[in-house]
Amino acid sequence: MNGSSDHAPVPPVGSPGREEGRARSLYLLLAILGIVAIVIVLSPLLGTVFIPPLTVLRILLELPNGCVGTSASPNLCTAYAEIIWQERIPEIGLATIAGAALGISGATLQGVFRNPLADPFLLGISSGGTIGAAIVFDFHIGQLQADLFLPLFAFIGAIATGLVILGVALSRYGSVETLLLTGVALSSLLSAVLALLLLYNPIGSEQVAFWLLGGLGNASWTVDGIAMGVLLVTGTLLSLFGRELNLMQLGGDVARSAGVDVRRVRVWMILLASLTTGVAVAFTGIIGFVGLVSPHVVRRIAGTDYRIVLPGSALVGAVFLLGARDTSLLIYSSSVLPIGIFTAFFGAPFFIYLLFRRRPTTTMGGL
Amino acid sequence: MTAVGSSLLPLRFERVSASYGARPALRDIELTVRTGEFVALAGPNGSGKTTLLRTVLGFVVPTTGRVELFGDRVEDLSIRERARRVAWLPQEESPRDDVRLLDYVRYGRYALHGTLEGDSPQDYELARSILDQVGLADRANDGILSISGGERQRAVLGRALAQTTPLLLLDEPTSHLDIGHQLDLLARVRELSHRRGVTVVAALHDLNLAARFADRIVVLSRGRAVADGPPLEVLSEELLVRVWGVVADLRREPRTGMPYLIPHRLALAVQALGPGTSFGPVHVVGGGGAAAPYLRALADEGYSLSVGALHLLDSDAEVAETLLVAAPIEAPFAPLGPEVRGRHRALLEAARVIVVAPFAVGPSNLANLEDLIPFAARTPTFLVRAPPIAERDFTGGQASRIYERVRAAGAREVAGPEELLRGLRALASGPSPSP
Repeated sequence: MNGSSDHAPVPPVGSPGREEGRARSLYLLLAILGIVAIVIVLSPLLGTVFIPPLTVLRILLELPNGCVGTSASPNLCTAYAEIIWQERIPEIGLATIAGAALGISGATLQGVFRNPLADPFLLGISSGGTIGAAIVFDFHIGQLQADLFLPLFAFIGAIATGLVILGVALSRYGSVETLLLTGVALSSLLSAVLALLLLYNPIGSEQVAFWLLGGLGNASWTVDGIAMGVLLVTGTLLSLFGRELNLMQLGGDVARSAGVDVRRVRVWMILLASLTTGVAVAFTGIIGFVGLVSPHVVRRIAGTDYRIVLPGSALVGAVFLLGARDTSLLIYSSSVLPIGIFTAFFGAPFFIYLLFRRRPTTTMGGL
Repeated sequence: MTAVGSSLLPLRFERVSASYGARPALRDIELTVRTGEFVALAGPNGSGKTTLLRTVLGFVVPTTGRVELFGDRVEDLSIRERARRVAWLPQEESPRDDVRLLDYVRYGRYALHGTLEGDSPQDYELARSILDQVGLADRANDGILSISGGERQRAVLGRALAQTTPLLLLDEPTSHLDIGHQLDLLARVRELSHRRGVTVVAALHDLNLAARFADRIVVLSRGRAVADGPPLEVLSEELLVRVWGVVADLRREPRTGMPYLIPHRLALAVQALGPGTSFGPVHVVGGGGAAAPYLRALADEGYSLSVGALHLLDSDAEVAETLLVAAPIEAPFAPLGPEVRGRHRALLEAARVIVVAPFAVGPSNLANLEDLIPFAARTPTFLVRAPPIAERDFTGGQASRIYERVRAAGAREVAGPEELLRGLRALASGPSPSP
């Protein structure tokens, strides 16, 4: 037993395919880091109003006389500062927070359900949020405080859906398959309910449709503060479950035999993921593909250890959503396009690319 | 490491019953496993082996009775504490991700840490030494999905061993492995058991593996423990027929004296096609080639068969061998000894129908008729009347007298194979005789 140091430095015995995979992972990592750099530099420069880059930098660094050397009048300069500090930065903040929230929720659900396709959208948690929003529009609830009631109802809708899934998890039918299928069925049901609500009130439907595609228009320092507060708590707690999720990937019974209270972990993680998704959906509406794609990107780069996949997915999700915002503004800066269009536009092909790059481990009868 | 004293019994079942819904899976199991034992659980599919293991892990909660793990009731222990006392190697683990073997084994350390504790360098060291023990030291950085099935099962064993528990449960650990990997895996487990005093309880459906590696075999049948003891005491042809419905020869391995089984035919289950498939085993008493035409005719119709007792080099024995019919065999020309007669009686006991072929009866095989007497009264018996017994009785009338008694007990007489098959078909279609 003491001689274990004798064979401590085991040389990696990897097949050429594995080496190739590592190289590809490295390229992917470099690509991501490149995107991070670009996004950080680009994000504050982009917006529906053009502000000269140097001015943006001066305003951000809070240098006196931000507009010195430009043709901007002092009034315009104040307006610029207002736009940057009260619109762009909160918007960037919300994109980062919502992206991180969706990323870590996706990683959590994929881990809990042992399914690479699980994400808040597939399980109906996002749709639940939309129902909440549609109810606000349709029944004119708290119209005067729409800023408060809209996110609140969306949040409640998402959590309620999460609780239904949780209820199934706690019942004696709570196998992973039933849970997943329940989520899928719930998602379809909620879509039907949503369609009904839209028919009932065609006037509200335009607003709901916008909500369905997601957007960062609600961003403010208050919104960012609330979302950040929730994400810090839920994200930290979720990240603590990495070792449990690692074991749960080997099967529920195996994890339990190794000492994981699988039931309790599932309950906590579904609850926390619902909260996290709920807060994102509440302020941004439905933004697809971030939760689905981010964990896959992390796994490609950093391996399958959930201690890394969970926080990593938050990071990648943040970068992804911020990148989507920047892209939407680069392409069509004169108005705010729903950001969900862009996450889907880039997310879907990239996801398919990832699936095809993956080494096939099981083949489905040559189909 | 654990708070478990060595004086406590690793495992104790006290009148344990369990069920899945309305279907009972375990009935009144009484079982005690002592420290360092290697116990094999044997029994057909659905006999309760896996359920028994699952009650130990707390996956199945008994409806009555108690399962004690080192003195404590399983339900009273936290999931983490259970994992510190007992580890489990399932039939097959299906990892989804290509996890490094070193990490895979290290995952087994989970229960030994507190909630917020990470893995220490010692955990990695232990994982490496365990990989060495399971023969995968040079594959530490390979992914679990990129190694062969045999290696994967060894890695899974490593994952279970990393829990460093005093008790290890194996649930049909070799059923997906080839023969080489089967022997390798069980040899490693037994070595561990003997060297480090780890107690092992393994569900093994291969009886030959169970006999070879286990100190003790517990046989389960329909949720009950029907036999418990060392392999030599437990395994018998009679048990095989009774529990598995299989007719088999029990032999001794000449070098080690270990018992091993050569299965022949299904005694009870439906297998081949033909009118005899769903019929119970037919036992033919014969010798000297007299049984051969009957064995062939019955085998063609799909009956499961046994024959006995025969002498080596007898032409009936050769036919029995080519037809894979179970037969107790005595040395040439010797009188039938007690062991062969015992096995013959077990086959008679298991038979649904007995057929007495027109064999020449002498002093060396008169015992075949003597052993038949008690069974002829209970089991439908067919006597072949041609040629008549008087012409082939070389025992001074003893054989003829036994024939009289068997006839008097209700045996039917037939002229040849055709009539025998008709008689059996009538028996099969008629009301089944009460046992």
